[in-house]
Amino acid sequence: MNEPLVELERVTIRFPDERPVFRKPAAWIRAVSDVSLAIMKGECLGLVGESGCGKSTMGRAILKLAPLYAGNIRFMGEEIGRLGEKAFNRYRPRMQMVFQDPRVSLNPKMTVFRILSEALHLNAAVEKTAYLEQAVKLLDLVDLRPEHIYRYPHEFSGGQQQRICIARALATDPLFVVFDEATSALDVSVQAQVINLMKALQEKFDLTYLFISHDLSIMAHVCTRVAVMYAGRVVEVREAAALFESPRHPYTKALKNAVPVADPEFVKQLGILKGEVPSLSDPPPGCPFHPRCAYAEDICKKEVPGISPLGEKSWVRCHLHEQLWNLGKLGNRKELS
Amino acid sequence: MYSSNPARHTPASGAVLQVADLTVAFNTPHGRAGILEGVSFDLFPREILALVGETGSGKSVTAKSILNLIPAHLREAGGRVLFQNKELLSLPEKRLRAIRGRYISMVFQNPQSSINPVFTLGEQIARLINLYLPGRVARIKKETGCSRKNAVKAVAEEKLKEVGLTDIERLLKLYAGEVSGGMAQRYRIALALLSYPEILIADEATSALDVTVQAHILQLMKNLCQNKGTAILFITHDLGIAAQICDRVAVMYAGRIVEIAETKEIFRNPLHPYTSGLLKAVPKPGKDEPLSFVPGIIPDFVNAPQGCRFYDRCDRAMEICRERKPESLNIGDRHVVSCFLYGSGAQKR
Repeated sequence: MNEPLVELERVTIRFPDERPVFRKPAAWIRAVSDVSLAIMKGECLGLVGESGCGKSTMGRAILKLAPLYAGNIRFMGEEIGRLGEKAFNRYRPRMQMVFQDPRVSLNPKMTVFRILSEALHLNAAVEKTAYLEQAVKLLDLVDLRPEHIYRYPHEFSGGQQQRICIARALATDPLFVVFDEATSALDVSVQAQVINLMKALQEKFDLTYLFISHDLSIMAHVCTRVAVMYAGRVVEVREAAALFESPRHPYTKALKNAVPVADPEFVKQLGILKGEVPSLSDPPPGCPFHPRCAYAEDICKKEVPGISPLGEKSWVRCHLHEQLWNLGKLGNRKELS
Repeated sequence: MYSSNPARHTPASGAVLQVADLTVAFNTPHGRAGILEGVSFDLFPREILALVGETGSGKSVTAKSILNLIPAHLREAGGRVLFQNKELLSLPEKRLRAIRGRYISMVFQNPQSSINPVFTLGEQIARLINLYLPGRVARIKKETGCSRKNAVKAVAEEKLKEVGLTDIERLLKLYAGEVSGGMAQRYRIALALLSYPEILIADEATSALDVTVQAHILQLMKNLCQNKGTAILFITHDLGIAAQICDRVAVMYAGRIVEIAETKEIFRNPLHPYTSGLLKAVPKPGKDEPLSFVPGIIPDFVNAPQGCRFYDRCDRAMEICRERKPESLNIGDRHVVSCFLYGSGAQKR
């Protein structure tokens, strides 16, 4: 039976709304609200959503880069959400992150060797004398050459810089790696190379990934399961291919419809989703998506939908998902008997 | 740098913009970098032409060169850019300014950096309305008897509503940094359209936006093209966008246009090896196959190869590709490709 490596239980993260300077914050920005998710060992879980949905914040909270307000986070069964900095440090080598823009996540004044050494420092199994050898091995893992070791980040292309970031993440011998929009700034062709590399490394080292992105199209290529986030909540979790073929949440469907498909034969009216994302400091009651949902009913405006299981490790948060599915409203074709 | 065969660039009837043999080089400390090499294409009214390419392909430089936005002391430019029977590359700055924003508008990738941060949104749009739509303002003043300021405000409301913005009264008082990327880009597009330009150049205009916001904006541009007849040059690396809203696609690689064709044709029948490689690298949503990609990287522009710039990465390269540069050829109806694979039997353009 596969075990969860990372578990989030009713996680809520909030930040103070900046306005009042000297008094207590008048409002809180609820970046993540009541999220429960399990990332199974060896899987690549995708986290998809648009700007401000809370996906990056969630990824960071796992690594203690964002404060946890409520709920629990467990890593390998151990409670890590409420640990102090010092106590958490022993987990850091086990979980690493690759960020979106390598130009700001790689120190431009450090050579690749120094960058990797800094990370190797956290790897108790490697002696200082072996740093050079290990660094070269890491570069080889990401298809870079030994002579790159003394170069500076600006001497590399975007794709190569991201590969250095991946090498750095692997330097501490992690079990879990979070990719936060790691391929979003790359060209299609380069993105493809980096994704293929990520998958190869995952297999080779039996890693577990959390892949955060706003790009629904690449999810199936990279991930086994995908979670969709909207306004701080996870609205749907499904197996990647199934999510795309037959979404069960109206937002997922809207997201899918908005993605331009590189096939002119498939010209569709790009689904226009009306309205704007809700304020996170003053969200609407009930389901956060109801103001923009074509199918919203009274209950949606009053109660936050609970989790409706859809099968193994799949679920959706929508009061009307069953009816919408039966009526074929979610883009599926259902035989009406 | 001018075409040796003038017949190649006979003005196609009705083209609103003709770019012929555009060649741009930058003077760098390492030497002269040949950024654009003989870029040629036409843009017709009422069409959306996609200029597709990856980083380093030269698509942004092409767009900026059309409007001569690259400082003269940094570059050498050759070739011709014809608009309204004027040759834009040799036009004095004063006359170019009369064209920019009025007849040819441009929208950039990051809206926050192309909106003046020290003036409110209202102040900026007001200035442009007074510049481009004085007649409209005067008419509203006359009809409703309101002040000039309110007339301008009314026009602003109308124009901003057209791009899908709401709560405009409040919006006009805000500064660029106080609105979201999507709103800023819609605002920016409204500004670009105030003058009813003949051409809109959109340089990765939706790349920094959420996909749902992007869908809005793409629809907006399509409507604009159909209703107002504006020709749009849409620069993007996203083939999905090209497929969904563009009529024709021009593919660029390392400073050259390697293929141009109607959208359906280029997806159905890509001729240039780079085009087919690019199409194969596009992720197909819902599919779980390993992603294909074009191995290698773009060549050095300073010590550029003397032959075809795609030679190193091409899986169908021949000896001749290393020695000479391929010319543009017409293959069939409105399909142009620049590749030695199509030498014999194809008619020289």
